[in-house]
Amino acid sequence: MIKHLFKLIWNKKKQNFLLITEMFISFLVIFAVFTSLVYYYRNYKKPMGFSYDNVWVINYQNAKKFQSTDSVTQYYATLTAMLKSMPQIKALSFASGNVPFTSSMNTTGLSYKGVSYSPVNYYQTGDGYRDAFSMNLLEGRWFNQQDVVSTYRPVVINASLKEQLFGNGSAVGQLISDNSNSSIKKIKIIGVVQDMKDKGDYLPSGMALYNRIDTGAMRWLGQLIIKVSPDADAAFESKLYKTVANYMKDASVEIQHFSKKRISTNKSTLVPITIFCIVAAFLIINVSLGIFGVLWYNINRRRAEIGLRRAVGATGNSVSAQLIAESLILATLSVIIGTFFAVQFPLLNVFNLQAGIYITAMLLAIVFIYLLVLLCSLYPGRQAAAIYPAVALHEE
Amino acid sequence: MDNQLNHSQLITDNSQLTTHKMIQLKNIEKVYRTDTIETLALSSINLDIAKGEFLSIMGPSGCGKSTLLNIMGLLDAPSKGDIRISDQKTDHLSDKQLAQFRNKKLGFIFQSYHLINDLQVLDNVELPLLYRDTTAKERRQLATEALAKVGLSNRIKHFPTQLSGGQRQRVAIARAIVGRPEIILADEPTGNLDSAMGNEIMDILINLNRNEGTTIVMVTHDENMAHKTHRLVRLFDGSQVQ
Repeated sequence: MIKHLFKLIWNKKKQNFLLITEMFISFLVIFAVFTSLVYYYRNYKKPMGFSYDNVWVINYQNAKKFQSTDSVTQYYATLTAMLKSMPQIKALSFASGNVPFTSSMNTTGLSYKGVSYSPVNYYQTGDGYRDAFSMNLLEGRWFNQQDVVSTYRPVVINASLKEQLFGNGSAVGQLISDNSNSSIKKIKIIGVVQDMKDKGDYLPSGMALYNRIDTGAMRWLGQLIIKVSPDADAAFESKLYKTVANYMKDASVEIQHFSKKRISTNKSTLVPITIFCIVAAFLIINVSLGIFGVLWYNINRRRAEIGLRRAVGATGNSVSAQLIAESLILATLSVIIGTFFAVQFPLLNVFNLQAGIYITAMLLAIVFIYLLVLLCSLYPGRQAAAIYPAVALHEE
Repeated sequence: MDNQLNHSQLITDNSQLTTHKMIQLKNIEKVYRTDTIETLALSSINLDIAKGEFLSIMGPSGCGKSTLLNIMGLLDAPSKGDIRISDQKTDHLSDKQLAQFRNKKLGFIFQSYHLINDLQVLDNVELPLLYRDTTAKERRQLATEALAKVGLSNRIKHFPTQLSGGQRQRVAIARAIVGRPEIILADEPTGNLDSAMGNEIMDILINLNRNEGTTIVMVTHDENMAHKTHRLVRLFDGSQVQ
């Protein structure tokens, strides 16, 4: 019977071409939707790698002109001491602009044993950065005062970068090259931290490198990360603001909560995919109505054939099954063509996503197309089964 | 193929008919009902058709000929009355059993051929065998034999649209006989053909009846064709008048 159906479909290839094309395009759209959804879901399932509750960021733009590096160091050391004296502040650290849940990015390139790795997110952090975000240390240690006098510039890397560089081997003590400047500098890994999903719940952390803030860099920084106790309320926030604003004369100061920034970042990530899903849903509805309409039309056009099949020995159910099988064969042809195109994405490493994401999305898209076609065929199939052969055979 | 069969030859064959009843219709009545109207299509039809008989049914349009044929072919159920085919009562059969019964016992020929234009001649003829437990090789062999019987061995790869009306009807006959049914029900098989083509088709049916012993019931408007059969039944307004 399958061979018979293939013959029937092949001999009606012109009529079936549009239906196959429609299913093929639907497959690609669904594949794109599922690729996005699988990508976001996989990222969502990964641990955050840090805690953002009760962590604030003070953004400042200091207009103060410093005469020397020493005066800069002194200026910010005084501010640090002032803030640390507040009992509500548990940890603090200066940081570069790419703090969690901002769109700001700073990337660099690394090389190890002649292989280049990029882009690597590059963070300028203080000694208190890890404590402020309760980052999970996997290997080695975080920065401390002894790093001031080290021979090589000490850095901490995240687990993703460690896996790329050393696989399952140990990273601590290894020397790698920082290619960010014209002169390549050797840097030494002193610790490995868990990946930190600092771009929101739905985006990956990527490879990351944490650098200890150099005193010379202090004048260019504009973020101060603060971990506060749970009882830190609006009154404390107001006091903190006044303290910092009074100290930094002529500076613009703003305090933000990372918990709120996370919600906002997640929203901005989800809005485009939500719009994409809505557009795709309308397209799918359109396509299903199209498939449904074409199948129904086909059944009306083939009433005499259905009547004949009933006369020569087909039951109502076998007629229904035949029409559903025909639709599923057409869906199979569309899926084969669609899969040929979809499989190019992992093969050519388009969008730099893991092959597993594309393969999962492909499988989901295949299941979805079959379910869609099955659902669209069920009612027309039942209608066909209900055709009265004596009537159908006498219609012209 | 015998093209010059005449009535006297059939009368001779008639004398050889067995007394075994192939089709028995008792008090058949068919009423079509809608919300507002009832139409009596057949009334008190009593008819016995012997095994190997070639019976024709005539009557004006709308007198119930096709309805009667559909009831004999188990494509339609009577409102009242009993049908026995090969001594088997059919009123209790399920949809699946009816389908199997039609597949094994009955062959259908229609005025408008009802060939599937998207399938080649051979595939069209194989169609009834698809609903049986047969292998592809068996189907091909049986369909080729059936096409040889109707003189279309050289057209197996053609599509129906590439054939003349007479050839299409011969394909339809091959499809009807491929499963070696005991009964063939032909609804105006020569209705769309000119007289020469019609005679050709008629000769094939007569040969089938004579050589294979197939019981044939044929609805026709053509007196000449009807007189070539063993017996003629006339209907008028749903009732049997002859």
